Order: sequence, then C-alpha cells, then structure tokens
Amino acid sequence: MVRFILRPRTFVLLAALAILIAFPYLYRLPFFSNFLSDFRTFQATRFAIWLVILMGLNLLTGYSGQISLGHAAFVAVGAYIAAILMSNSGVPVFAAIFAAAILTGLIGFLMGIPALRLSGPYLAIATLALIIVLPQVLKFGGDIRGHHVAFLDLASHTGGVSGIRLSTPRVPASMHNSLDMNVDQWLYYNCMLAAVIMTGIAWSVTRSRLGRALIALRDSEIGAQQMGVNVSLYKMTAFGLSSLYAGAGGALYLYQMSYLGPTSFDILFSLTLVVMIVLGGLASIAGAIFAALIMTLRLDLTDLIAGHIPFGDRIGIESSRGAVFGILLIVSIIFTPRGIAGNLQKRKEARPGGPRKSRIAALVAKIGLVSREKEAEESSD
Amino acid sequence: MDEFIQQFATGLSTGSLYAIIALALVLIYRSTGVVNFAQGDMAMFMTFVAWSIWNGDGHFWIAFFATLVIAFAFGALLEMITLRPVETGPVLNPIIVTIGLVLVMESLALRIWQGQPKPFPSPAIFKGAPLSIGPADVSRTNVGVFCMSLLIMVLIYLFFNYTRVGLAMRATAQNRVAGSLVGIRVGRMLAMGWALSAMVGAVAGMLLAPTLFLSPSMMAGALLFAFAAAVLGGLDSPVGAIVGGLTMGVVQNMAGTYIGSDIDITIAFLVIIAILLIRPRGIFGRKAVQRV
Repeated sequence: MVRFILRPRTFVLLAALAILIAFPYLYRLPFFSNFLSDFRTFQATRFAIWLVILMGLNLLTGYSGQISLGHAAFVAVGAYIAAILMSNSGVPVFAAIFAAAILTGLIGFLMGIPALRLSGPYLAIATLALIIVLPQVLKFGGDIRGHHVAFLDLASHTGGVSGIRLSTPRVPASMHNSLDMNVDQWLYYNCMLAAVIMTGIAWSVTRSRLGRALIALRDSEIGAQQMGVNVSLYKMTAFGLSSLYAGAGGALYLYQMSYLGPTSFDILFSLTLVVMIVLGGLASIAGAIFAALIMTLRLDLTDLIAGHIPFGDRIGIESSRGAVFGILLIVSIIFTPRGIAGNLQKRKEARPGGPRKSRIAALVAKIGLVSREKEAEESSD
Repeated sequence: MDEFIQQFATGLSTGSLYAIIALALVLIYRSTGVVNFAQGDMAMFMTFVAWSIWNGDGHFWIAFFATLVIAFAFGALLEMITLRPVETGPVLNPIIVTIGLVLVMESLALRIWQGQPKPFPSPAIFKGAPLSIGPADVSRTNVGVFCMSLLIMVLIYLFFNYTRVGLAMRATAQNRVAGSLVGIRVGRMLAMGWALSAMVGAVAGMLLAPTLFLSPSMMAGALLFAFAAAVLGGLDSPVGAIVGGLTMGVVQNMAGTYIGSDIDITIAFLVIIAILLIRPRGIFGRKAVQRV
C-alpha cells in the first residue's frame, strides 16, 4: 500500500486533480488573470465534454477497430433524450443525463447488430448515413402522403426546426453563497467530474477482460474467435459502450448550452471527432485526452499559427483559416502517424533508459545473433 | 403510370449524377485502397480551373481538355505530396489526410473565386428542348451525363482489365509488396490512380456545374450520395458504381414522390443499408478473403 502511494504516478495524478479543482478560481489570482478568465473556464468545460465523447469513440475505433463516421448521431440522440426529459417531464438534471447515457448506450448496443455484418469502408459509410439522415429524422412530422402517423411524429418531441430551448442552469444557492460560484464554474465542476469518472471507467475497461477481448478482435477477428472471444457480443458491447459515452457527452453539451437544434451536430462535427482521436492517438487514454485538448483549442491553435505565417496579411490569411487548419492536419498526420500519444510512447521506448527488453532485442537484432523466429519469441514474452 | 415513368426518369437523371462521382471514387479505391473524401472538392476545384480558362467567352472544349490535363497533374501531385507519406501508416491516416484536403480546397476556392455561384457553360449539344423518351421528358444535359457515365464506366472496365498499366494498378492495390516484387513501380501506380480519378472527377464537375451552379460547396451534397452509391454497388466495381448511383437516384425520387419529400433521404439510406445487410460488400462487390 505504501509503495502504491509513493509511486511517482500517484503524485502526478494528485497534482493533476488539484489543478482541475482549482482551475476555475485561478483567474482571480494576480498572475493567472493574464491568461485565464470565465471564457477559459467555459472552454475547459467544453474540453471535459469533448473528452467524454472522444473517450467513447476511442474505445470503439481505437480498441475494437470499428470505424464510426457517424458518431455525432449518438451524441445528438443523447442530447435529445436529455432535453426531452428535462423540458417536458421536469426530470432532475442529473437523472436526465444519466438516463440519456444509459438509453443511448442501449440504442448503440442494438445498432451494433447490423454493424456486425459490415466492416471497413462499408461500415464507415453506413455509420456516416446516420448523421446524414439525422436532421431529416429530427424534423419529420409523421405525415406520410397526407396521413398523420402519430408514433412517427418526432418533430412534436424534438421541436422540429426550432429545436429545444431550456432555461439556463442555476447554481445552487449554497454553492453560490459559500464559494461565490458562477454558472461557468458550476458547469465546469459538473462536467469535469463526469469526465474524470468516465475516464476512470474507460481506463479500467481497457485493462479488463473486456478491453483485452476488444483489442484481440481488432488485431485479428479470426484469431480472437479461435481463442473463445464471442466476437458478436463484444463488438456490440463496444458499440454500446461508446454510444453510452457519446450520449453522456451529448447530454452534458445540452446542459452547458441550454439549446439543441437539428443542426447542432452535423457531418463536419462527426468527421472532426474521428480526425481528433487519430491526431490524439488511437487506443490510448492519454490519446483521448490529447484529442479533446486539440478539439477544444483547434480554433485558437489555427489563429496562433496563422498569425505567425510571414506576409500572412498580404496573402489574405484571415480568409483562409480553413486551409491553415487543413494543412496543419495533414502535416501532423504525416509527422505523427500514430497520434501524439502513440509517438510519445514510441519515444519513451526508444530512450536509453526505456524498457530494457526492447533495447536488448534491438541489440541482438543488430548483431544478428538469433534468427527472426527466436527474436519474435523473445519479444512476445 | 405516366407520372411513375416520369419520376423514374427524373430519378435516373439524378442517379447518373451520383453515378459519375461514384465512378471516380471506385477508381481511386480500386487503385489505391483509399476512400477519398476529397473527391468532390477535387472535382469542384478543377471545375473552377475550367471556369477560369473558359473566362466568360472562351471555347468550351478547349477549357474542357485543358482542365483534364491539369487535373491529371493535380491528382498525381496530391498523391505524391500528401498521401505518399502516410502510405505505410495506420489505415485511418489516408482518410484523415483526405478530410484535411477537403478543408484546404474549400477554403482556397472560397478565397480565390468567392462564394457566389457562377454560371458555367454547357456544350452546345446539351442545349435545346428536353428529349421525349416515351411518356417522360428528360433534359439533354441529363442524357449527356448519363451517356458520359456509361462511357467512363466502359473505359474504366477496359483499362483495368485489358491494359498492362490497369492490371498493374489492380495488383498494387491488392498487394503492394507482391506488386513491387514483380517489378511494378508501386509509387507511380498510386499517383496514376489519383491522377485518373481526378480526371474523372473533373469531367463530373464540368458536366454537373451548369445544373448545380459552380460554387465552393457545389459537390458537398452530391458526394455523400455518391459515397452511398459506390458502397451500394461495391467499392471495387465500376458497374456497381453506375447501378448504385441510379438505384440511389430512383429510390430517393420515388420516396420523395410517394412517401414524402421531407423524408426521402432517410428512406433512401434505409434501403441502402437494408441491401448492404444482405450483401455486405455491395451488389457487385467481391468478398475479400484474407489469409490468417
């Protein structure tokens, strides 16, 4: 136990936790007020929401190897469930978010059944279809050739084109009085708490039987099957779990924005999610955190870089931000093909003080003492 | 009945639009194994180039063929600069690069040619009164697009099945190592795949620009349907691209007419996914058998 507490990682985690707790109040201190503000707190809340969503997508695409280009559809479903629960039935916020996550997870689990038959680009386009049709479905009034079909009338629940507007969240009086907490800070703590818990869950999932099964079926479906992994069940579970994350993220997004419309989540957003998890690093918890960071700061990053391009104002950099971001994207994929987390990991392994086994293996390979088979044997144990 | 036939013909016209972009997607998938999200924007960009060459009163066909040459070089360059480096990396990386290209090209097109839609000339043979085919009226442009997509399909078929380069490209797409071992210049084949598909895309763009109006977001909607069409037909089958595109157009139009125009896309995609569940590799796609 003592050894566990004294591990350097424990201190890093505790320090991170302390920063997370103090963050929304830091800007009231003299030094931090230069670069922190309520807007940064808002952004940090957004980071927490993106983290939940991207963590789920990473479980699906990174760990189980199934591509979903339409993941934003699940985010939207979660947000709408939460919105309908909060606006019509007066369900308490936390119950609504929880219910939205569970229900979206269930829907995702069932959506996993058709996904079982598809793979690669076919699965990618089929999932993309979800987000393509979403606005039409949300706006559908249930009129088929002049007949009104009541159970197909989704617009009456979703508010159709105008969407759903909720009253802005209120800070509980006790918090407001004792800690002088404003709405941004209140939202920050709620979303960040959810993000920390769900990151913890994802961390333990990836190190459990489920996580190992998912990795096995990503690397070789037939191999996993031979080892007794129930491929169908685990694939569906991966879909369900990542949808649960998406639903929770969507509900939190709604809670922060208090507004939801049929175009709140579009195709570009959906593709951006995939881009971000690849940039951050697939199949890695740290990767999802990097991904959420980039996603939150992508506009600031683009501005920063656009501002440093020589003669930028002469070639009209102002109106070509999209191009700057696109080039940034391509360049970073070229130079960090395994994402930020993947490349950090690689550097760690290549460092002189890195894992000894790989160093010895590299040395042995260099001298050519053992045959390739032997080398493979050694590195596998 | 006449209404049905007319709607069917309209569906075929829309479908041939999807089919021709789907052909470009199939071409690139078959020769490089990449699902190209930038296909629509490459076509849009080349159409703007054609517009600049035409410059208001030039000769249509001069602009047309000059653009084809430029498109060939453009496609090859894109492959060599942006895709070659991610070639050997994880499978998702080329897709991410094509998404990056989408952002770059849309932004640049907006910067260079501005957002308002521009008139684009259509060749003289496409002008004039709609043709009457049985009880249905079809515009000449649509007939032209339809014929052109059939022509391109036949050319692609012949190219991939009867020319050395085409066969080499297929070999490269299937197994790069084996391809290079028998002396195929793999890099050159990949660049060629992109170059040819940029050309097909440019043809699609120039044929569609008179009806869609030339603007930076011209292809955004059509590309998604073309994707669905390509997947429906089978991503490696040119015939599938045509059949898929036409099916997509007809289903969408029928659903719009007989069920409700506010739900047509949803119905079309439901039909596509239903077909995919029966044939997971598309109607004409072949099942990939992998050695363990």
